[in-house]
Amino acid sequence: MTGINQLYYDEIQVGDDVTPLIKGPMTTSHIMRWSSAMENWHRIHYDKEFATNHDGLPTVLINGSWKQQIICQLIKDWVGEQGWLWKISFQHRAMNVPGETLTTWGKVTFKYELEGMGFVECDIGIKNEENIEACPGKSTAVLPIRGGKPIPYPFIPPKG
Amino acid sequence: MTTSAYVTNEVKSYIGNEGPEIVSDPIDRSEIRRFIQAIMDQDPIHWNNTHAKTTRYGAIVAPPLFVTHWFRTPAGIPDPLSQNFKENPNFDGLLKEKNGPDLPPLPLKRALNGGNEIEFFRYPQIGERISSKGKIVDIFEKEGRSGRLVFIVTETTYKGYENNELILIARQTLIRR
Repeated sequence: MTGINQLYYDEIQVGDDVTPLIKGPMTTSHIMRWSSAMENWHRIHYDKEFATNHDGLPTVLINGSWKQQIICQLIKDWVGEQGWLWKISFQHRAMNVPGETLTTWGKVTFKYELEGMGFVECDIGIKNEENIEACPGKSTAVLPIRGGKPIPYPFIPPKG
Repeated sequence: MTTSAYVTNEVKSYIGNEGPEIVSDPIDRSEIRRFIQAIMDQDPIHWNNTHAKTTRYGAIVAPPLFVTHWFRTPAGIPDPLSQNFKENPNFDGLLKEKNGPDLPPLPLKRALNGGNEIEFFRYPQIGERISSKGKIVDIFEKEGRSGRLVFIVTETTYKGYENNELILIARQTLIRR
């Protein structure tokens, strides 16, 4: 996260793993803390009786909005303070519930240079201990090239 | 040419519809603290000003998606929770977002999130007010396994209210069936 261990485009190979982020075991307290921090009062996240009886869910759910934060954190931490998380996309495919430990992962699928910057595409997602994928997606990050120019901040996307 | 059962010319005319611009309160340091504690993000750019000053950010910045959650219920209005529960004891607790464009009326009951796509330009700083505006960018229809599906793509742009500098653009696909 600090500039000292900055990752460079030159060091990346297709097939590389992004340093995974592991969170959990998740509890109802973690869910409550997030719901409260963002002022989201949707009862399926803290009212078990409502979640099961009204929505037919197995129990209360870990917020999709929380999972989105974690996949952004994954790439933000990985690219460091001189890199940039440019684009991220994902779908919410599976529910996650208290008791689960979630591993947010990424794998490099493609890399290219444009306008003196290094672009790295990854497949990303969040898996539980049973290896069920909850949040499959893709990201495009920008990394500095050794001896090259710094990534502009605010980020200016390449033309075309 | 495929026949469109739902996406009529009238429905298509909703493409380009914009919601109102809404403006947030200034970003608060303690709200960033609560947020990063809840997502368990230890990155010092979000809490350590001494460190943040040495980076290109120049000061503490909020996490990437913070602004998408920074439009809160204002003080001084009738309590929305009490109002909703008064009308419906089974209210699900989910307060409606106020910044979206009007969606086309469709004779379809179910709605689900078909995916999100976000493009980031910068991270906002403490004290910044954020402006947000949503727009419908596409409406199309496909044959699904259980019938026809209508896809509505919205795009919400978040900027600094004072400096007008882009923060992020979030695209969401809503599937109606």
